[in-house]
Amino acid sequence: MEYHTAKSIVVVVLLLVSLAVFGLRVYRLLGANLRRGQPNPPFGSWGERLWGVIKFVGGQWRLFRFPAPGIAHFIIFWGFLALVLTILQAIIEGLVAFSNPEFVLPVVGSFGPLALLQDLFATLVVVAVVYALHLRLIVRRQRFEGSHKAQAVMVLLFILAIVVSLQVIAGIRIEAGEDTLAVWRPIATAVGALFAGLSASAMEVIEETAYWTHLAVVLAFLTELPGGKHFHVVTSIPAVLLRNLDPPGRLPPAPEFDGEVGVSSIEQYRRRQMLDFYTCTECGRCQEVCPAHASGLPLSPKLLMMNLRDNLIQSGEARRDERRDGAVLEKELVGDVISDEVLWACVTCFACDQECPLFIEHVTPIVDMRRHLVMEGRMDGMLQEAMANLGRYGNSFGQSERSRAKWTRVIDGKVKDARREPVEYLWFVGDYASYNSAITDVTRTTAEVFRHAELDFGLMFDAERNAGNDVRRVGEEGLFEMLTEANTVALEKCEFQTIVTTDPHTYNVLKIEYPPEVIGQRSVLHYSELLDQMLSDGRLQLRRGLGYRVTYHDPCYLGRYNGVYDAPRRIIEATGCDLIEMPRSGDRALCCGAGGGRIWMEEGETGERPAIMRVKEAAALAGVDTLVVTCPKDLVMFRDAAKSSGYADRLAVRDLIELVAEAL
Amino acid sequence: MNIVVPVKLVPDLVEDLEIDESGITLDTSWLRLILNEVDEHALEQALLLKEAHGGTASVISLDGEGVDDVLFSSAAKGVDHLIKLTGLEFGDDLNNHAVARLYGAIVERLEPELVLIGVQAHNDLDGSLGPLLAEYVGMPYVGYVSGITVTDGKCRVLKEYPGGLIAEMDVVLPAVLGVQAAEAPPRYVAISRIRQAMKTVSLDEQAAADPDSGGGPTIDSMFKPETGERATMIAGDEEEVAAKIVDLLGELGKV
Repeated sequence: MEYHTAKSIVVVVLLLVSLAVFGLRVYRLLGANLRRGQPNPPFGSWGERLWGVIKFVGGQWRLFRFPAPGIAHFIIFWGFLALVLTILQAIIEGLVAFSNPEFVLPVVGSFGPLALLQDLFATLVVVAVVYALHLRLIVRRQRFEGSHKAQAVMVLLFILAIVVSLQVIAGIRIEAGEDTLAVWRPIATAVGALFAGLSASAMEVIEETAYWTHLAVVLAFLTELPGGKHFHVVTSIPAVLLRNLDPPGRLPPAPEFDGEVGVSSIEQYRRRQMLDFYTCTECGRCQEVCPAHASGLPLSPKLLMMNLRDNLIQSGEARRDERRDGAVLEKELVGDVISDEVLWACVTCFACDQECPLFIEHVTPIVDMRRHLVMEGRMDGMLQEAMANLGRYGNSFGQSERSRAKWTRVIDGKVKDARREPVEYLWFVGDYASYNSAITDVTRTTAEVFRHAELDFGLMFDAERNAGNDVRRVGEEGLFEMLTEANTVALEKCEFQTIVTTDPHTYNVLKIEYPPEVIGQRSVLHYSELLDQMLSDGRLQLRRGLGYRVTYHDPCYLGRYNGVYDAPRRIIEATGCDLIEMPRSGDRALCCGAGGGRIWMEEGETGERPAIMRVKEAAALAGVDTLVVTCPKDLVMFRDAAKSSGYADRLAVRDLIELVAEAL
Repeated sequence: MNIVVPVKLVPDLVEDLEIDESGITLDTSWLRLILNEVDEHALEQALLLKEAHGGTASVISLDGEGVDDVLFSSAAKGVDHLIKLTGLEFGDDLNNHAVARLYGAIVERLEPELVLIGVQAHNDLDGSLGPLLAEYVGMPYVGYVSGITVTDGKCRVLKEYPGGLIAEMDVVLPAVLGVQAAEAPPRYVAISRIRQAMKTVSLDEQAAADPDSGGGPTIDSMFKPETGERATMIAGDEEEVAAKIVDLLGELGKV
């Protein structure tokens, strides 16, 4: 048989086998497995979704938050697209070798500028792949810990082999004078020059070897693709297209199965969430920014995703063939696959979700599993006590609701009771600001500033309950509903135009998660937003310039969750302080470690706590002696951290309102 | 194994206690009731035994503010039978003798193998409920129990003594055990489970008999703790108080 005929037959066989393997694997993962999941809620907003695909898949927008690796990935992604036609050329060339060994794709195969683009991209891809290998093998960033290194390296080498073999083929053809577009391929020309002087038959052998290498690696890559993290090549488009467009501060409704709230097996996740599990590329950006992971707790958002994905795949396999690996089915999702400790470690700071280039949600599946833990009563003693207190007294401190407004007793004049008389601003004080004796001074200062600005405000006194933000994130959905109902009844009795609160957690839940009919058209403001408004419309005037050098910590539920970054900074500026930003500021701010109910839990075995890391980060700024916060929990966490780490002398932790009061 | 847990609601100490004008009882207008803390342990121990050996668990309570919540949350935890005595309430002028007689009548009807009861309550003015109940129903009583093992209808208990001593003793059933601590901390029950129980479980309401307080002491007067003449009250915040205590200890030559 003639070589070219044999070539065609082998290419046909290889192609069919690879496509069959690829098709079967994709069917099992995306067809059979996803069917096991729960239906998705209706999607809608297709314009926004499509634009997201263009921006975040095409434009790779979020990847650039890690600039150098982001650029490398961008090059590989676009290089791959630019070279798809070349790869297609190679495959068809083999298919039709028996009749036309010199086949060239019509139009694109003879379009010079495209040839130039491919030539340049091929080179850039080689550089990017070498850089990626350098990151994986030599720099070995912490974020890759736990990722499949061998697989990652193998695929990088695949890409390298595909591109190099392509350039060798192109180079030899140029050298042999067979390429009419030679002038458009300067790099391939240079590669071809390496083979100058070889005999025609030697060049042919090299060319054919390169061809078979190219084809084999392309097809190997194709069959390997659904086997691991590189499946994101397939799933990223639907994952980004179908991403959650709700505000991040709104958890989806709690899943419920036969009266059991929460998720206790992988099939109880929605299909779109399952798509997330497949889409994880193990890049570890989430792990790098996770405060729980940084403090040595067992949570890594990346490993969580990988474990969920593995469980989804393995349980699917086990179900298909019960003789095989039946043990997988006996493992409990919550407890065996994902441990209780991992779930309780999360501070729900949203840094992971925000960092994920492909919009994978971590916080939501964690809360879903926590809900199951709560149903089972699996929580530590401190958290249990906090929940019991919240259920009984409406606050985590276990104090009577009658003493909620005790802090008002020592301020001059009466504070209005919004249940009895109309007020313009209803101040929803929150638990910490009401009950924590270490910070009620700050609460009083807030009242004084409000008074000074002649703000018409009132409280709900003993009718206020914990707003429930963190109760919901602990997974105690029933308690969250109970608190919401109690607050709703109280709010309905009050006449007001705006709710103001000093607590970002309260702010988030009232603004984003409370039933829309409760708040209606009225706005919910964080006090920093209110002060900012009052400064700009002149209701509040600051007379003294303080001249401190300060830094500012963005609370998770104010910044990342609700995008309020500028108002507190404008106020700091208005007090005449010099604001020096920490390395991690704005949406990169490190959580204090209190969120998601962590403030109520036992700390467990940890390394350096996030609050201490943060205090050190602030103290390391030259000349900065004040850390300004806008969240009562931050005040508690950072003051404590400053004391316990010995920074209290060098770094004062102050609430924004204290600066404002001083500058009046 | 059938277990009965008679529970008691006591004044919640998060509120300041006020003495009634009569001077012999607490002012109930500000009073708020909470399940006696060790009763939670008795309940937990009952659930642990039920889970290990099968059978049923029943809870008995007098009526009162918050009693329904207590009963439904025990149902959500796994209690089968919720008995509420109506017509009388915690906070009424009932001493433990009276409560023990009321509960005793129910216990006799239920014929349980075990009665688990919190070993004490902070408002026990006339002795704790357990021994009184045991006396009225004619069962043996062991108090300060922190472990219960049941085998073949026999029961071995761990009883705590002051100073960290622990005795192991066999008890003939049926018996009343005053539980000091359950073998596991009382479990948390999710609010949604309690809400479910409210919808699906019914309370067995039984009219309470006429109370008989006989045998208990008579209270002549009640008063708040008075500052002794030799006591010094130290005022100030934590830091100041701590500093003064250090000074005082120094003066007294203790440090």
